[in-house]
Amino acid sequence: MSSVRKDEAASEGLFAFLSRRRFLKASLVAGGALLGLGGGGLLALRGRAPSVDGLHVLDDHEYRTLRSLVEVMFPTSELIPVDATAMDLPRAFDGFLAKEPEHNVTDLRKALVLIEFGPLVFDRRLTTFSRLDVSERSAHWDTWGVSDELVRRQVSIAMRKFFNLVFFDHEEVWPYIGYGGPSMLRRAGGER
Amino acid sequence: MTGPIVDLSSEATPREVLTEVCIIGSGCGGATAARLLSEAGHEVVLLEEGRDLIGPERTQRDAAMYDQLYMDRGGRASHDLSVSVLQGRVLGGGGVINACDVVPPPDGVLKHWASKFGLADYAPVSFRPFVEAALQDLSASRIPESLVNLANDKLRQGTQALGLRGEVMMHNRVACRGLGTCLIGCPIHSKRNPRMVALPKAFEAGALVYTRARAVKITKATQELKEVSVRTLDAGGYREEGKFTVRAKIVIIAANAIASAQLLLRSGIGNEHVGEHLTLQPQLSVIAMFDERIAAFDGVPQSYAVTEFEEEDNAEFGLWGYRIEAIMGTPGIVSTLLPFSGAPAMAGMAQYDQMAASLLLVPDAPSGRVEVARNGRLTIRYEQREDHRQRLRSAVETSAKIYFEAGAREVLVPTMPAVRMRSRSDAGKASALSLAPATAPLISAHQQGTVRFAPSERDGGADPDGRVYGTNDVYVLDSSGFPTSASSHTMTPIIASSRMLTTKLLARI
Repeated sequence: MSSVRKDEAASEGLFAFLSRRRFLKASLVAGGALLGLGGGGLLALRGRAPSVDGLHVLDDHEYRTLRSLVEVMFPTSELIPVDATAMDLPRAFDGFLAKEPEHNVTDLRKALVLIEFGPLVFDRRLTTFSRLDVSERSAHWDTWGVSDELVRRQVSIAMRKFFNLVFFDHEEVWPYIGYGGPSMLRRAGGER
Repeated sequence: MTGPIVDLSSEATPREVLTEVCIIGSGCGGATAARLLSEAGHEVVLLEEGRDLIGPERTQRDAAMYDQLYMDRGGRASHDLSVSVLQGRVLGGGGVINACDVVPPPDGVLKHWASKFGLADYAPVSFRPFVEAALQDLSASRIPESLVNLANDKLRQGTQALGLRGEVMMHNRVACRGLGTCLIGCPIHSKRNPRMVALPKAFEAGALVYTRARAVKITKATQELKEVSVRTLDAGGYREEGKFTVRAKIVIIAANAIASAQLLLRSGIGNEHVGEHLTLQPQLSVIAMFDERIAAFDGVPQSYAVTEFEEEDNAEFGLWGYRIEAIMGTPGIVSTLLPFSGAPAMAGMAQYDQMAASLLLVPDAPSGRVEVARNGRLTIRYEQREDHRQRLRSAVETSAKIYFEAGAREVLVPTMPAVRMRSRSDAGKASALSLAPATAPLISAHQQGTVRFAPSERDGGADPDGRVYGTNDVYVLDSSGFPTSASSHTMTPIIASSRMLTTKLLARI
């Protein structure tokens, strides 16, 4: 939890949009949904997350939220039969955050809270993102990118930006998208 | 010290540096100024936040290269995440990560600057020699037919079938092998960019550059000896570690239109125009799916442009209208532009090798702003104007028609929600695009205008020589000074402008 930086000239990053009271505003979208449950109720609703070793920034709950997200962002299919959960993309994200300015990490944490409690806040369902089954979770996440609420579209963009970049940078994926990898390596290997 | 490039993530931090000229930023503007000044015998020290990433270190991999070659690790964006703001952070600056497009400022733009903004030095007859010199610096040439790949040829086929005007573009590559990863660095250094031309010349003439050196503040800007506070960064460029001060008679800021204004604002230097008048030139991609393999990621990604709708002498804004160019990137970055998540995204990327894509380059009015909060946080405030949306919709429609003429099976507009076009008759769907904030993956690669040059400090942040108003010999020599969009691509205008302004500076010192 301590390896974030606080630089004098820190600048705008991918998750900075959640600053400036946007988070509070977004959280109030559902009226008293969060307030009604109270802190204890929210914790109970979220439940316990499995313990994960070796994280720099994320806690167990945040890790679980991201793992649940990755599962619906990159479903294994006949077209691309690669198991994204096996890549441990949340851990890559944790590594990314460890090098980010403190304010970006703070903003990202807010985004993860919004995602985890999204079903409650935006759909008024008494459950959390990680507790939805995969098909419900997928349907719920699909609504973020086309939401009328700016903050949900922003969270969707930010997550896609990071995770897509990393997922499709994995060599296991390339054979299924017709990409042979970096051209220097291909040519050194005798292609053409 | 091992040579002219001192990496402060591994070398000892100097306690203090005294020099005649301190240049902040090593891209097209800064490197050009460094070369001319050092060749004229002046003592020059450059500061660069990035590091010198060369040869096989340019791995052609998305995650590592966006992390190391781009500002904010590729994550920089406008305040509401509507526009992804791409800015180089490497020795050589934006020229290392651009698509090598050489597009000189049109005469119409230069006349506009001279007549509307009082920048007589930019009138075509005065400025043209500097453009010619810039073209020489870049070894500019027309892209040979052998390097026009199938994706670009598809754009050309459709353009010609519709009877529209277009052209194979000029570029600054020499001995290009079509490796395809121009946007994340050329591992064989085919680009004749500042890293390969101006900086080596500057080093030969005695210039020195500190890399992993972030300029955070300028003080004593009205005194003869200015002070630049510098933070050194770790090897990855993530954390500030040490600090030192550069004292210089002349300070030249050439850190890009965002970072140059950011530094001035942080320093409390300049008038109310500093940070204002930002143009981002937001671009939108359109993706065409073909039945055959296109492999757009192989070869030069951007070699053909549709110029039919480009307006070079708009009375109010100079460069206006729109332009369409082919483009392609590596899988990671392309996937971030797809408007889907989950199974549709996977299905889309499964056709990666059948995609051709174009970028719609739409010049904008200087309406954005760079802000720096009391705590140092940067905000790029930008609202897309309706006139920009309207031209973007027109460009989408044109692009779709072109691709269907070229045989595309489907054209995809990567907005949220996505617009899928199955035939030419669907192209009209473009007119219904809302383009509301954070619904379209807009990209800015050509930020300009935050320290506008003007003959009077009532109208701009710096005088026509680039000197920041209210300072003694603090200059901006990059795209910050451009009052409107200089060109659809800013590499050539920045080099030419820096050449001209540095030549003027040399005449005075």
